[in-house]
Amino acid sequence: MINYTKNQITFMQFIFLIHGVQVGVGLLTLPRELAEKAGTDGWIALIIGWLFSTLASLIIIQVMKKYPNGTIIDLITHFFGKWVGKIAAFIFGLYFAFIGSIVFVREGLFIQFWVLPQTNLFLLLFLLSIPSYLIVRNNITILGRYAELVFFMTTWMLFFYFTPLKEAHWLHLLPLIKEGWKPILTAAKTTIFSFLGFEIAFFLYPFLQKKQKASIGIVIANTLTLAVFLIVTIVAFIFYSPDEITQYKEPTITLLKIVEFKFLERLEIVFLSLYIFVISTTVLPLFFSTVFSAGQFFGKQDHSKYVVWLLLLNLVYVLLLPQSFAGNRQLQKGMESISLILVYAFPLCLWVYLWLYSCVKRRVFK
Amino acid sequence: MKRWFHATLLIFIIVILSSCGGKAPLEDLTLAFIIGIDLDEENNLVFYELNPVFGEGTRTGIETYKVKAKTIRDSRRLFDALTTGEVTAGKIQVLLLGKRVLQHGDWFPILDTVYRNPTFSMSTRVVTVDGPVSKVILYNPEEKHQLSLHLKALIDKNYDRTRAVKGTLQELHREINEKGMTPFISEVKKEKNLELSGISLLDNNGKYAQFLNVPEATLLLMLQNKKRKEVTLTIPVLPNDGEKNIFHKNVISFAASRVKTKIKSGYKQNKFHFDIKVKMTINIVERLFPEERLSKEQLTKEVEKELSTQIDSLMKKIQKKKIDPIGLGLYARAYQYNHYKKVENNWGESLAESDINVSVKVNINSNGAVEQ
Repeated sequence: MINYTKNQITFMQFIFLIHGVQVGVGLLTLPRELAEKAGTDGWIALIIGWLFSTLASLIIIQVMKKYPNGTIIDLITHFFGKWVGKIAAFIFGLYFAFIGSIVFVREGLFIQFWVLPQTNLFLLLFLLSIPSYLIVRNNITILGRYAELVFFMTTWMLFFYFTPLKEAHWLHLLPLIKEGWKPILTAAKTTIFSFLGFEIAFFLYPFLQKKQKASIGIVIANTLTLAVFLIVTIVAFIFYSPDEITQYKEPTITLLKIVEFKFLERLEIVFLSLYIFVISTTVLPLFFSTVFSAGQFFGKQDHSKYVVWLLLLNLVYVLLLPQSFAGNRQLQKGMESISLILVYAFPLCLWVYLWLYSCVKRRVFK
Repeated sequence: MKRWFHATLLIFIIVILSSCGGKAPLEDLTLAFIIGIDLDEENNLVFYELNPVFGEGTRTGIETYKVKAKTIRDSRRLFDALTTGEVTAGKIQVLLLGKRVLQHGDWFPILDTVYRNPTFSMSTRVVTVDGPVSKVILYNPEEKHQLSLHLKALIDKNYDRTRAVKGTLQELHREINEKGMTPFISEVKKEKNLELSGISLLDNNGKYAQFLNVPEATLLLMLQNKKRKEVTLTIPVLPNDGEKNIFHKNVISFAASRVKTKIKSGYKQNKFHFDIKVKMTINIVERLFPEERLSKEQLTKEVEKELSTQIDSLMKKIQKKKIDPIGLGLYARAYQYNHYKKVENNWGESLAESDINVSVKVNINSNGAVEQ
């Protein structure tokens, strides 16, 4: 049994960790994906996505409350036995490893395409692996501090997005609900996945200092993410014509190409270089959860050894298989259905089960 | 032992640090500042490139090249064969388009690489050249700044005075793709000097449709609510005094401190209706006739009348060519979505058939520093 009281995270760190995992590479393409499905009504879908993710997050917290001093794996071990716990650790480890690796590779692809087109992808990821190792091998407190630092270090970048507003065309947003609700609901399917990342709460909960604040914290994290998504999406919608926005692969980056200072052009390169930090707050907690699950699977306290293996595996994978945006996207699409089960269906079932379980137990005691 | 390990690792990492090897000294680069695209007499695409020359031992400081190539990217191959350094596209300030290119409706795809290749700057000003591009790009007078600086400043200054559009690549892309509006670009010509002549209006496909001179361009920009730092207009408010009118004693000039255009759209009897209401507060900066000839109320009336006639004739011109540089289509989409959706692919024609009412409301704020 791991002692979770030794390395704790504060309420703020809890919020920023979850928010950090949610905001990452997806934001770069989000406005286009929404515009493809629902035109300039896409932002409404964001709010629907937020509703779903907040609900699912609250359910996760409710589940974790049943066994406050352990992660989801400890909880499953406690209620279902050791072997089911092992299986859960295996599944969760694999899930986070896949998601983390997809994001990691995508991060490299973005840097390669926009900033360093002549550099080998393997080399880029190798260089990124070094700081990743240095952070993930530590305990969760370090990771929490890192997420907090990066949040305050990078939120100002959002202000760049107010510059295109000089040439805003608010008329693009009208009329609201152009073609009925159907396209909006289709887009909501996309946004539900944009908010993924709150499942990290499965692993963060036992480390949280004030557990009574977990629900409010996870709602704040989701809302913060919604705010970031909404700002970027609406700016993209009112700046680009609805007829042209779908032509840009990464409207979030292209938007910055028009921001220009006397002393600095091509701001998007500077932005993207800083955005690596934002993406790292997605990747690192995911890697941490992976190695943590691995530690629990093998019954080891220390997880730092697994970090090396995970990063090495990643590099070997990149070295052996050629990577592309399309392939990466395909993989992510594949993961989405698994996410849906693991993040939405599984906590709900577990919650109902645990609720019934406690009912039955109470009656037996009477 | 551990310290040695760390030191070796550090050195190793520094050595493989990316992008340090590929340094590019300014002298070895050929930064294209102006790119020109034109058609010659036999309708062959011609590309021009102007770049500064750094370093000692060069005389003029700039060099210009002309090549015949298939595409922009293809032209780089030929430029590379001519210039000292590697031709780099990231710093293009101005893109000159020959009018002959624009007279063909399907020219826009030749700019594809500009949008596909992330190294291109999106704030490059696109400018039409009335006449051959070579005349402009080879224009290099001693007393002026370098042409690229001069052209860019020319556009930007007039943009600030609400007479020209910036017409960046980004805006052009939007205007070409937006179905509810048609593109417009600033236009220059070289007669004796290089001058800004007005705005070229293009149709939905990008084909040259109509030329607007500078005062008309100002009106157009006012209708788009794109008033910048200053709007000045000089208009006649009194009837022409006949041959004695050498000194234009019937005109008045004013600077508008506030211009607000409200556009309302409607749909009646299978036609779109647009109500354009221009409200402006003006300060008179020049009046060549004595005050008693027109009272303040009369003057206000006359200014309003003259402005609405001018805007009306501008609208007629636009409707005749079936174009929509103002972007009335955006209003139609926002408020008459279902009707608009049916005609969005032929928006210019629907606009040509629609009713447009223009009304101008003027408020004279001040008469300047002299009494009379």
